[in-house]
Amino acid sequence: MRAQFRSRIRFVLAAIVLIALLILTRLYFVQIVHGEDYAQKADRQFASGSSGLFDRGAIYFTNKNGTLISAATLATGFLVAINPQTLADPEAAYAAIATIASTTMSRSDFLAAAAKKNLVYVEVAHHLSDADGQKLSELSIPGVQVLRERWRYYPGGSLAAQSIGIVSYGSGDTLIGQTGLEAVYDGTLTRSGDSLYKNFFAELFSNVGNLLVNAKDAREGDIVTTIEPEVQTRLEYDLAKVNQLYSSRGTGGIIMDPATGAILALASYPTYDENDLQNVDPAVLGNPLVESVHEFGSIMKPLTMASALDAGAVTPQTTYDDTGCITVSGARICNWDHKARGVIPMVEIIKQSLNVGASWVATQLGQEKFRAYFTKLFGQKTGVDLPAESAALLGNLSTTQQVNFDNMSFGQGIAVTPMQMIRALGAIANGGVMVTPHLVSAIRLDSGVTRTLVWNQTARVFSATAARETTTMMDALFDITLMHGAARIPTMSVAAKTGTAQLPTPTGGYYTDRFFHSFTGFFPSYDPRFIILLYTDDPQHVEYASETLDTTFLDLVHFLINYYQVPPDRGFSTTTPV
Amino acid sequence: MSNPRPYFSFSLVPLLSVTAAFLAVAYIGLIAVVMGYATMTVEFSQSVKNDEASVATLESQYLGTVARIESLDYRAAGYAAPIAKIFVPSSSMTALR
Repeated sequence: MRAQFRSRIRFVLAAIVLIALLILTRLYFVQIVHGEDYAQKADRQFASGSSGLFDRGAIYFTNKNGTLISAATLATGFLVAINPQTLADPEAAYAAIATIASTTMSRSDFLAAAAKKNLVYVEVAHHLSDADGQKLSELSIPGVQVLRERWRYYPGGSLAAQSIGIVSYGSGDTLIGQTGLEAVYDGTLTRSGDSLYKNFFAELFSNVGNLLVNAKDAREGDIVTTIEPEVQTRLEYDLAKVNQLYSSRGTGGIIMDPATGAILALASYPTYDENDLQNVDPAVLGNPLVESVHEFGSIMKPLTMASALDAGAVTPQTTYDDTGCITVSGARICNWDHKARGVIPMVEIIKQSLNVGASWVATQLGQEKFRAYFTKLFGQKTGVDLPAESAALLGNLSTTQQVNFDNMSFGQGIAVTPMQMIRALGAIANGGVMVTPHLVSAIRLDSGVTRTLVWNQTARVFSATAARETTTMMDALFDITLMHGAARIPTMSVAAKTGTAQLPTPTGGYYTDRFFHSFTGFFPSYDPRFIILLYTDDPQHVEYASETLDTTFLDLVHFLINYYQVPPDRGFSTTTPV
Repeated sequence: MSNPRPYFSFSLVPLLSVTAAFLAVAYIGLIAVVMGYATMTVEFSQSVKNDEASVATLESQYLGTVARIESLDYRAAGYAAPIAKIFVPSSSMTALR
């Protein structure tokens, strides 16, 4: 019995010794024979694994048919890094890399990086295609590593750049949204980074709760915008044309559904290419449509008129004696052509854009009611889902000098953002109700659920009757006054208004030869599907908005009618001459 | 005096050995499954990302084409504005709302 036990013990000991020898032999091969190879592999894993592959949710445009098209997504490819400690021949390595990777650094920078022998990892080229990465990898240059990488990519380039926004490094080493929707929805778009390498069993044992109800899956996702890519393209093209033609300081525009506040397109010029941020002027990274305030001029008149109609201060049949010029509080206010019109009805104030008439309406309305209406229209931010929205400059509303109210009645002495302006004008188009303009309609969560965002915060400013009566006046302007009636569309009613404001001087006065042009309109007039706001800042050698923006507005109207197949709302016949 | 050790009609050693062997095999199997699962997850995720990147390239071409069409001067290409528009009832009208 004892002898048998001893032999068993010896057998076990022999087995242990054998296993130990095997392990020692394996360690010899791992550490001595192939030690350098494994060290390089470990070095590579450290370098690439420490930061992980970049991941971030997508942003989508929505085509008119509901098809989603990426506005911001991820591109995959390769980066090239060198290990100066093991890079034997920097000259030859640079020659090989530069032949394949056009994005690599300059030769002098490369050699300087290769000379830093205290470093083990220096990235020398980014954004290589799969084919190029493969080609370089096959060369197996000692000290050169070809690693997979992922980066933010904007398929549209400059399309809606200021609205989509950019990502860049913040205070830490993580890419975060800095402007536009990238910033506003950063919490939804950001990825924690460990989801790819999740160990199911480890998760199961360590954190059962998280596996069943994952808070990240309920937060992280992609965002779906209301921006229609073809409408956006058309708007950007038209704005660029205006800006170049008149050498303006800037030109912008918004196209919105007045009933819901869904923004189909918004653009400003100059803009930038989101995939090439190397030489971008930081001044164009912001969004002037929500960040800059302007005195818009006469497109404010419909709001003055709607306020007075709603308050009962005037009716469409009310007349007044237009003298061409008036003096208020010692200041002289004149019509654009300084001509008197005599006794005329309210519609002529809008149709002929009469400053004296707008001042008269403001006087009839009274300061208190004017203040109340305009505070409701512009007293708060729009709530649009874009960052850094500015507040309107409404200082003159707090004064008691009538001349200030007269000036505001035709859009001088009151500065608002383009987004606030289209929201306020949208109330006329939408039966007197202001909606919340917005760019994002839904969030597609990683859990698979699509969460539709609700933008139902509305405010009634005018009665439906007042809105309709004002619309009729704007309709008359488009059909009769604009381009002397040539703009009229026989099968579509369009309500419009032009605006020309003098630009303020730094000292508080106004330039007599520098202007801010604006143009607004919506159609079909009595059941509008689109409202358009356009502006161009400081156009050269031209005075009136009806000269700079009328063709652009008309082009957009005709484009939208054709693109969305908007059915005719008047003058319908089987065949209509164009 | 009775013997305090329990008496089994079978040997415990083979039973425990078999159990240990089974647990060892199960453990190795689970590790293999987990590793396989993790590998597949990474591969599939990478594959999805690569496909998304390919789609993005196509979308970029599409948006580029749209921009080219928008900026095209049809008159320079030899086309003229239509002389008449004919409205016909549409069964599937595209509408925003």
